[in-house]
Amino acid sequence: MSRRPVPGSLPLEGVRVVDMTWVWAGPFAGMLLAMMGAEVIKVESRDRLDFFRRYVIWPLADAAPTELSTDGSMMFLSANMSKLGITLNLGKPEGKDLLKRLVAVSDVVVENMRPGAMARMGFGYDDLCRVNPAVIMLSSSARGATGPESQYAGYAAINHAIGGGAYITGYPDGPPGHTLGDVDLMNATTAAFAIVAALRYRDLTGEGQFIDYSQSEGVTSLLGEVLLEYQMTGRIPGRKGNGDDFMAPHSVYACWGVDHWLAIAVETDDEFAALCEVMEMPELAIDSRFGGAAARKRNEAALDKIITGWTRRQDRDYAANRLCAAGVAAAPSRDAQDVFRDPHLRERGVFVEVEHPEGGANDLMGLPYKMSGGDPVVRRAPRLGEHNDYVFGDVLGLSTREIARLRREGVIG
Amino acid sequence: MIRAHRAPTPSLALFDGRLYDPLDSDPRRSNVTSPFEGVKVVEFAGMVSGPYCGKLLADLGADVVKIEEPPHGDPARQRGPFPDDTPDPERSGLFLYLNANKRSLALDLTKPDGREAFARFIDWADVLIDNHSPDVLDSLGLDWETLHKRNPSLCLVSITPCGRTGPRAGCRGTDMTGYHAGGLGTLLPPRSSDVSRPPVKAGGYPTGYHAGLTAAFAAAAAIFGRRPGGGCLLDVSEQESVVSLIRGFLAQSVHQRVTWSRVPDRPPAFGRMECSDGYVVSHVVEDHHWRGLVELMGNPDWAAGDEWNDYPYRYGHMFQIGHKIDEWARRQKKEDFHHKGAAKGFAVGSVYNAEEVLSSRQLQAREYFVEVDHPRAGKLRHAGWPYKMSVSPPQVRRPAPLLGQHSEEVLREVLGCSESDYRKLRRSGAVWKEATS
Repeated sequence: MSRRPVPGSLPLEGVRVVDMTWVWAGPFAGMLLAMMGAEVIKVESRDRLDFFRRYVIWPLADAAPTELSTDGSMMFLSANMSKLGITLNLGKPEGKDLLKRLVAVSDVVVENMRPGAMARMGFGYDDLCRVNPAVIMLSSSARGATGPESQYAGYAAINHAIGGGAYITGYPDGPPGHTLGDVDLMNATTAAFAIVAALRYRDLTGEGQFIDYSQSEGVTSLLGEVLLEYQMTGRIPGRKGNGDDFMAPHSVYACWGVDHWLAIAVETDDEFAALCEVMEMPELAIDSRFGGAAARKRNEAALDKIITGWTRRQDRDYAANRLCAAGVAAAPSRDAQDVFRDPHLRERGVFVEVEHPEGGANDLMGLPYKMSGGDPVVRRAPRLGEHNDYVFGDVLGLSTREIARLRREGVIG
Repeated sequence: MIRAHRAPTPSLALFDGRLYDPLDSDPRRSNVTSPFEGVKVVEFAGMVSGPYCGKLLADLGADVVKIEEPPHGDPARQRGPFPDDTPDPERSGLFLYLNANKRSLALDLTKPDGREAFARFIDWADVLIDNHSPDVLDSLGLDWETLHKRNPSLCLVSITPCGRTGPRAGCRGTDMTGYHAGGLGTLLPPRSSDVSRPPVKAGGYPTGYHAGLTAAFAAAAAIFGRRPGGGCLLDVSEQESVVSLIRGFLAQSVHQRVTWSRVPDRPPAFGRMECSDGYVVSHVVEDHHWRGLVELMGNPDWAAGDEWNDYPYRYGHMFQIGHKIDEWARRQKKEDFHHKGAAKGFAVGSVYNAEEVLSSRQLQAREYFVEVDHPRAGKLRHAGWPYKMSVSPPQVRRPAPLLGQHSEEVLREVLGCSESDYRKLRRSGAVWKEATS
């Protein structure tokens, strides 16, 4: 497909994406593309529902629901916004044929099945090239499509462990810690970047390509300096908690109440003086133990004790605001509810309101940046098969009668 | 590789003429080898977020000119790690990784000539990456409105701790405060019900890297969809780039009132397990994963009942047998558990440290690492890219620059500086070049 930018359009308008991803690491890539203007068509099967369509988080008014739909899971809605959805039975020859017809009029195919699964269904990159020589295909898997471990299963936490992230995460005196689904979303962002790069390359040359994406490598690529530290010093980088090699104070301090924590980081002497002023301890700023970053780092334990003595008596959010106003880097360690209520994020319009399929408006996290000159596409995630008529009728040109037959025969779900 | 633009008249006097060469005039060229070839980027950024955004574009062919302020340049030059722990601004690992493929121009922005040259570089650029507080560009007379007027096609990627608007617009932040501000800290350490100890950030610079990644996606889309005169401001907040990563926890928290980190209720076969020589992380969710684990454990009696084959049952009753799974795991070697578990079809992986990552057979087979030879730091293996692109792969074409290494080169090439103009700039101290010692 050739694509010409339309004045006033979003950057990815005119790009069509066939999205065969599921769960978490794949779908968010398609969602980013969709919010930036691409027409992203999520291909689903009623026999093999997206894990998150089954995941039990429904914002139901009924405290004891007797029936749960496939459309209402908040996890699903959070990672599939702004897409179109179709249902297709790929076990049937006609289903396979329809998918290929869709690929023929699309720009990108993205999937996150075990390497080889697409080829076994007849949708390997070579197969897709036969119907669309300029197609861009991205396959995202735990360890990549090649190598001795290509068939290893993986989820976010395992990719974090294999990639080298878990080992350096946690308290210095504790075991390694691994993160969770955030690694998937990070990988989805990276994959979306690679897809846009390939689109740009195709604009310049007319050539499509295959992108083999490894989610555990996605973790390692964000640890460049950690790998260099080992090579440069022979030392295996360990866990530092919230600490920093140079800065002190640089930690998370207990505040008034239970499990309320405040992160404070000081780099310069001016910032330290500002902190001392907010704490009403001006004598600290001229204390020789804390004069200069190196001295503060040397006497970090004593300093942390003094700061904790102060934060213990402070309301977390009030103290954070005062420190920020004074020019000190400080933030509450927010949990999800704090984030959801953060007035700053509210004022920036970070959460977007979408209608839940079972009724009621919901706020969901939108794009993680603001863009001048065009609002992102915000639409609730598709119900199962919601856009079958549009995609099979308007995009592929099937007649109403033909679509009805395919429905009857179970090709279109 | 880098398409040098040569100005028609090499004179500082012509500084007000446009040197912009729109790529759109010739959209299909057969000699192109990289997606962002021909894209001109000025990177006015330090530490991680802005430089990682610049690196992602540079590795795929963008011409990135990094503007550094003397005498120290990018603060990442001071951060290390350093070979043998000896500080040296030209051998800082953080800087070397994040700035390969870029050219360094050292400009003293306190000098009028330095500021003028800076503005001229922005006129040339398609993309300006800035991770200073917006006051810095404002104080140089280059607020967004002015930039947009001077160069209507310019995409300004502004990365700040909390974004350019809202009550916390001007607040400072570091990698650690940003991680906690965005809500990821409370998820760590996992399975941590001890509320007397603080939440922690993930290791490394997770906030900066992710903000850079977010910015790079937005910038790539803007480059792809750009129209003449269609410049845009991308306002990237480090906090929001972290919030983006907890979007699932937001849904859970708001609708189920669950805060994941502070409850010890995760089934033990989901998460970290201690082995005789280290740790693994496993994620046993689907029933066939569970059967694989049971087989690997040698089908013990205590896991024999059919009821365990049901995920909701397991989830609710795992504490009855979790300690037995942990006991079994403590007798295993982590790599045995890892590879044998994978063979049984469930998801498990060793917790690898830097040394183990560097010697991973999988990464070696995939030729993931890139050897980069730097004039001061020598040969080092850099992390590669998680995306293998069959036609236009990312690559390292040159090592990270010395401070001001390309000052003369880019001034001549981009601004058309003559020999005498250049000497004048050097004499005034507006332009620095790396010490040749």
